[in-house]
Amino acid sequence: MQTLRRGFLAGVLASLVLAMFDFVTVGAPGNGFPAVLRWFGITIADSTISHWAGLLLLIVLGGLVGLIFGALQRGKPITPGRALLTGLALGILWWLLFELVLTNIMNHASSPFSLSFGRFLSSFPLDVLFGVLLGAISIQWQGHHGSHQPS
Amino acid sequence: MSISSSARKPKGAAATGAGEGAVAPPITLSERSSTGLALLRILVGYLWFQQLFWKLPPTFAGLYGYVVRESQHAILPGYGALLQHTFLAGCSSLSSPVDCTAFVPLAACVWTAELLVAISLLFGLFTRFGAILATILALQLYVGLAYSPGEWIWTYGMLVLLALFLVAVPAGRRLGVDYWLAPRLQSAGQRHRWARIASWFV
Repeated sequence: MQTLRRGFLAGVLASLVLAMFDFVTVGAPGNGFPAVLRWFGITIADSTISHWAGLLLLIVLGGLVGLIFGALQRGKPITPGRALLTGLALGILWWLLFELVLTNIMNHASSPFSLSFGRFLSSFPLDVLFGVLLGAISIQWQGHHGSHQPS
Repeated sequence: MSISSSARKPKGAAATGAGEGAVAPPITLSERSSTGLALLRILVGYLWFQQLFWKLPPTFAGLYGYVVRESQHAILPGYGALLQHTFLAGCSSLSSPVDCTAFVPLAACVWTAELLVAISLLFGLFTRFGAILATILALQLYVGLAYSPGEWIWTYGMLVLLALFLVAVPAGRRLGVDYWLAPRLQSAGQRHRWARIASWFV
């Protein structure tokens, strides 16, 4: 239960870091949030509601991926290396599912895997970062930082 | 997280006579401060990441106007001429990289360096290496653009200072891959020289 809770909270925090990027983006702040709704075919006409609903959905999705991360630990302590690798894999899965397949399906693209270099570059590193942060936050909470790390 | 090495005796301590005065204790950062530093590192990484998109390959055309401005307003004597004979060699236009012989390969090097900085700082992977690279790139921007018309001098000055700050502190050891990497490199560094050198950069 503890690992599930820790995973969930780590996922929420990691998704908040992704959300933070949307406040230092080019154009209006929060411009990326409606795109999260569009992954599921949701469009809301009101711009303000659309932004807030997108942010909320992003956090919920982060929490869900965090729960999966916690469930994969099966209640046992996880090593830092395994936590980072599991997070990395979940980040790649997030990118494949949401940014690639669902985005292409909802945009009626010719193939669910069609991708330009610019789109790959703007989405892949940040989704992988979400995964790495998920793993890193989780291990920090687990208490592995007790080991001596001189600078 | 310790930001000064508490394992070794500070160099200054040798010069201080025994009993003459207390040596200042090493500065240690709390977990909260370390996490705050890590968030700062991630945001600086995102800053560099965003700048990749207005000069995308294969043409890197967005960079051209800036290189031209740098060649005209550089504060370091000879730097403008250096750019003229490398990046801008053979170029026949001030607005687009027409006829340039070396612009694309050199711009590709700049773009790749900025990508490395972004990845290093975002992921906390060899963070100090990324920060050193960011310092060099930011210094180059300062030299070329700080005094060009329409620019605020401190824009690039702050970029240099931010990068230098991340060289000084091990910001990748929280919320980053360096958390995992640092103890392994330090342990391997006792046996292998390459690991000791690599551990300078985490």
